Amino acid sequence: MLKRKMFRDIKNNLSQFITIFLMIMIGVMAYSGICAYMDGMKETSDKFYSENNLFDLNVMGLLNHDDLNNIKQIKNVKDAELKLSVTATTDNDKTLLLNFIESNNISKFYLYDGEEFDINKSGIWLDNFYAIEHDIKVGDTILVKYESMELQEKVLGLINVPDHLYDVRDESELYPDRKEFGFAYMSINEIQDNYIKSIVMKELGVDNEQIFDAMVPNFNYKDYIPFNNIMVDVDNKINVGNVKNSIEEKIANAKAIIKAEDTASFITYQGEIDEGKTYVGVFSGIFLFIAMLSVITTMTRVVKNERTQIGTLKALGFSNRKILFHYIGYGFWISLFASIIGLLLGYFFIGKVFINLEMAFFEIPNGHPAMNISSYVVAILVILVVSIITYITGRSILKENPAETLRTKIPSVNGRIINITKKGIFKKLNFESIWNIRDMLRNKIRTCMGIAGVVGCCMLIVCALGMLDSMNFFVKLQFETLYNFDYKLNIKENLSDAELNELYEQYGKFTSLSLGIEIKDKDNIKESNNIFITDADNYIRFVDRQNNIIAKPSDDGIFVTYKLSETKGYKLGDEITWHIYGDDKYYTSKIIGFNKDPQNQNITMTKKYFESLGLEYKPDSLYTNVDLKNVKEIKNIETIQDINSLKEGMQGMLSMMKEMLILIISIAILLGGIIIYNLGILSYTEKQYQFATLKVLGFEDKKIKNIFIKQNNFIAIISIIIGLPLGYYLTDWLFKTAIEEHYDFGASITLKTYIISAIGTFIVSYIVSNFLARKIKNIDMVTSLKGNE
Amino acid sequence: MNKSFIELKNVKKTYKIGDQKFNALDGINLEINMGEFVVILGPSGAGKSTLLNLLGGMDKATSGDIYIGENNIAKYNDRQLTRYRANDVGFIFQFYNIMPTLTVLENINLIKDVTNTSLDSNEVLKSVGLLKHADKFPGELSGGEQQRVSIARAIMKNPKVLLCDEPTGALDSKTGVDVLKLLKKQSDSDTTVIIVTHNSLISEIADRVIRIKNGKVESNEKNIHPKNIDEVKW
Repeated sequence: MLKRKMFRDIKNNLSQFITIFLMIMIGVMAYSGICAYMDGMKETSDKFYSENNLFDLNVMGLLNHDDLNNIKQIKNVKDAELKLSVTATTDNDKTLLLNFIESNNISKFYLYDGEEFDINKSGIWLDNFYAIEHDIKVGDTILVKYESMELQEKVLGLINVPDHLYDVRDESELYPDRKEFGFAYMSINEIQDNYIKSIVMKELGVDNEQIFDAMVPNFNYKDYIPFNNIMVDVDNKINVGNVKNSIEEKIANAKAIIKAEDTASFITYQGEIDEGKTYVGVFSGIFLFIAMLSVITTMTRVVKNERTQIGTLKALGFSNRKILFHYIGYGFWISLFASIIGLLLGYFFIGKVFINLEMAFFEIPNGHPAMNISSYVVAILVILVVSIITYITGRSILKENPAETLRTKIPSVNGRIINITKKGIFKKLNFESIWNIRDMLRNKIRTCMGIAGVVGCCMLIVCALGMLDSMNFFVKLQFETLYNFDYKLNIKENLSDAELNELYEQYGKFTSLSLGIEIKDKDNIKESNNIFITDADNYIRFVDRQNNIIAKPSDDGIFVTYKLSETKGYKLGDEITWHIYGDDKYYTSKIIGFNKDPQNQNITMTKKYFESLGLEYKPDSLYTNVDLKNVKEIKNIETIQDINSLKEGMQGMLSMMKEMLILIISIAILLGGIIIYNLGILSYTEKQYQFATLKVLGFEDKKIKNIFIKQNNFIAIISIIIGLPLGYYLTDWLFKTAIEEHYDFGASITLKTYIISAIGTFIVSYIVSNFLARKIKNIDMVTSLKGNE
Repeated sequence: MNKSFIELKNVKKTYKIGDQKFNALDGINLEINMGEFVVILGPSGAGKSTLLNLLGGMDKATSGDIYIGENNIAKYNDRQLTRYRANDVGFIFQFYNIMPTLTVLENINLIKDVTNTSLDSNEVLKSVGLLKHADKFPGELSGGEQQRVSIARAIMKNPKVLLCDEPTGALDSKTGVDVLKLLKKQSDSDTTVIIVTHNSLISEIADRVIRIKNGKVESNEKNIHPKNIDEVKW
């Protein structure tokens, strides 16, 4: 019979129970959804890396088969493969990172369509995203050009490769642009012998083929292929460090050895997971927290409203245990069903939506959400908390004797704070205002929960929009303030001075060079970084912490980025010891200033200072404002990058971010709306008899509605005042802690965002209040007043 | 003879409970003169409170006419009823129904928000003996004092009709007498006071006693010699 009572009670208070259900469901959905997305990302990549055998180490340098065999001899090396990577172009002037390989047991292809790799197969295996973007199918033929080679290749397969999850043409691009850039693999047999011969002839300074044939009588081009990578598979992760050291020692040709975990592809993907982990903690935590605050308040009220019924059941002889179980059932069943549906929606809706967004960015097969134990634990905790709350509230009522319980408890109005409202400025307030102020003070918990809910929502809206603002600010800073050029030309390696001078004459002599370095600290611990050597004058600018342009470093020391200096504890005047990869000589440089770089945390020096160390400056980039709109190709230039297309690339990344943020804002608004509605119902129910009295006294419905709406508006305004700055701090904190280490962003939120967030929050509150206020018209004075008796 | 101030003609109030119809008032006819102190008696469920609610414009009759002065309030729409409640009727409830978050004075001044014809609040408070409690919250007052706040609020609008639903029901006898004295005083100044009660002793001080049973008027008698309140043995 009590079960029937429970179902009927739920039916009679349906809107309140529906809001409890929705709040728990949305809270659990947000938490489990973001978890499912993050864990799914991790699980997807772990599986891909392991099944497709991502290399453990990548050795770079000018390498050959002897190096390969020597590496294979090193203890704990399971396998190794040679690779020649070059930047090629296609017949429609797109860029392809072209890899020639002999076998494919390390960093194996994941085949979407086509056939497995075989060294004897003639054709090309193409980046699946690039193929989709260009509508290329297996069996189609494409033309690939590299230096003097022109290769007409049949597409044999569309692939993903575990070290190409994220590929950009150049470090100044953040967003992979598949229209312009992709990767491809071919058998080493596809390399044209004439091309290799021409390289060797150039190296030997011979331009006559007959002389060359005489010089190298048994020329086999395969012995001269300039491999530039050896991918190494180590038997166990714990041995990777030792193998790296052995290669450093034994392979003279190895200029740099990079762990898989240090590659851009791995770091960027992992960064996305780490970023997401912070989102899990922050966004879903806030969602769940404000939802639970509201649920707890409501459940307490629901049980308290059952006070006289509890007294009746007690008077009828029901045991305390039976009554308690009955009321725990209210919270338990609602939270159980809501949590189950929240978990399912989290996995199938939020998890899938986010994973799909990520999978449009990263090239990884079989992206799927994954439910992990923490989601179940959170769901169980939610059920427990709600049940315990109903238990505690029920028990406190049961402690009273039945006679007392049967009497309606009249809420107290006394109190120091309320008494203050009888004096001073409060005396001048009209009835509506003073009544609302006292009502809020009298129902402090309800008011605080309302404020907390709306603050949370306002804060999340500011944060979501603020992240976009901050990213836009970053784009502006990077591409308008720091980059002060129209085109960046990536210069081919090993150009002669004459070839360089030819470029300078045409496009100006504003260049830079980026080099991979290793920094050694006092304890001899080495860490990878890079130096940027500038000879670009005003084409590359520098800013201070406040984004004000500062002069480039003088010629007697180095600039360190603020974030790097904070991480490492560097101070002005400190010295840094470093060496360039491929050169064992260490240099010590003095820090003469700091600069802010939103994208890279590195060291900067001038060409003059670099050369004063006895190093040779060979630029890799040239900056120009010469109009290159219609120029597709420049001799001795690998790629031409237009500042506008770099910006567009960033806009692409922002649009992906936008989709995620829209989802967050939608949940925030939905949850905020439900919380306001729920607390509005609580507030309305508690005041119903007072409204009925006002009606009897002759107050018009419109006037009573205004009183009701005024309180909610007041709560919304207080919440907005608190929520706006909190939104700023949340955004700033997220940018400073959640994003990858090499970025240096802070919140930069526009006034427009604050205005939109404030108005948006207020409108949601106003609409919900108005919706609830419609009930006032239907208050039946007779029933309401009788109910109060 | 003067025309009656309040006149009910064949007033019915039917409630629907599921498929069942229930006549709370079953064709009531009665007349009350201006300034009369009227007591309506009857057992529980007789229809006393329903009658009071109809007179107060809190509920609408299913059929029939209710004249207050020249106006048939049974034909009023919601807006007219609100105006009627604001200007013409004062209510006093058994459980006071005063705003717990407003002080005594604020509760009374509330009336200024609905009518322009309100009296001076200090005078009203003085007349009910609550001047010294003006700044207190209802929770700081005794039951009798709270009921006096309710009376003060009702008379503040200088109503034509004062409707009281068991006004002494929650009070001890001495406090109840004080409340009745206040109400009687009000009827002496031409306000028609109608009290619904179970307490038949109150009928001894009434100008008119109406008995209701099963939704019908059982008797409507004029009390030729109403007793003074102090003469009644409570």
